[in-house]
Amino acid sequence: MFQSVLIIGAYLFCLGIYGLVTSRNMIRALMCLELMLNSVNINLIAFSNYCDPVEIKGQVFVIFIIAVAAAEAAIGLAIVLNIYRNRNSARIDQFDLLKW
Amino acid sequence: MSVFYISESNKSIILFLIEIAIVLGSIGVVTLRKIVYSALLLGFVLISISLLYLILNADFLAATQVLIYVGAVNVLILFGIMLINKPDPINLKLWTIGDNLSMIVSFILFIILTINIYSIEWSSIQIMDSQSIPINSVSTIGNHILTDMLLPFELLSILLLVALMGAILIAKKDDSLEMNTLIKKK
Repeated sequence: MFQSVLIIGAYLFCLGIYGLVTSRNMIRALMCLELMLNSVNINLIAFSNYCDPVEIKGQVFVIFIIAVAAAEAAIGLAIVLNIYRNRNSARIDQFDLLKW
Repeated sequence: MSVFYISESNKSIILFLIEIAIVLGSIGVVTLRKIVYSALLLGFVLISISLLYLILNADFLAATQVLIYVGAVNVLILFGIMLINKPDPINLKLWTIGDNLSMIVSFILFIILTINIYSIEWSSIQIMDSQSIPINSVSTIGNHILTDMLLPFELLSILLLVALMGAILIAKKDDSLEMNTLIKKK
């Protein structure tokens, strides 16, 4: 049971990396980032349930990660909206404002 | 330990169903062409992950996951999609060599992780049986947050404040340029 939960975490992480690298839409990249953060949370909760069931310090770290993920989603969507207003596009390969 | 009790065989069946839901839903998130569908599937995957937390005796975090991820982040992403409603150009190349390469790399990473997970003897690491000690997770987490992890908690509150102000400042419409052009026209 413990190993299958770890496998699910690894699967979500690899799928998140694949989607983050290959997605052409900026918002889809943000969604894949959320998947990767969730896989880290699954790993932390599985280990805190398995190795440390009394002092559940892993769950405290999960709360911190959830808060940071919420802040990251807000900032990321604000940046996407701003660049969409300037460039009239939400594709990742057209975000070359800082190139050259 | 959670408030409710599930026997071990029932638990493995529920875990299997949740894992199937997570696997299929996350594949849909990455590969579906219409981005609204993949955002809705992301909400489904997040709800299944919160059920997984319930199985793993983290009831407070399951509630937090539903509240923050499904209620805030996913709705925010849906709003973003509906504000940026631009369909992809049709002559877009669907499958490039970079896609193949990254798929191979992430698959190899998954294989390596799976081999590692199954090659370690986890039973030698386990300290105590997780089912034997009933604890109240909410009060334990609150104790940790306000005693030995107080500094990260306060830093996190500052981070949330800064992120709130920064998001408003970035997404605000910049009127100064338009005002300058209007003044020059006059």
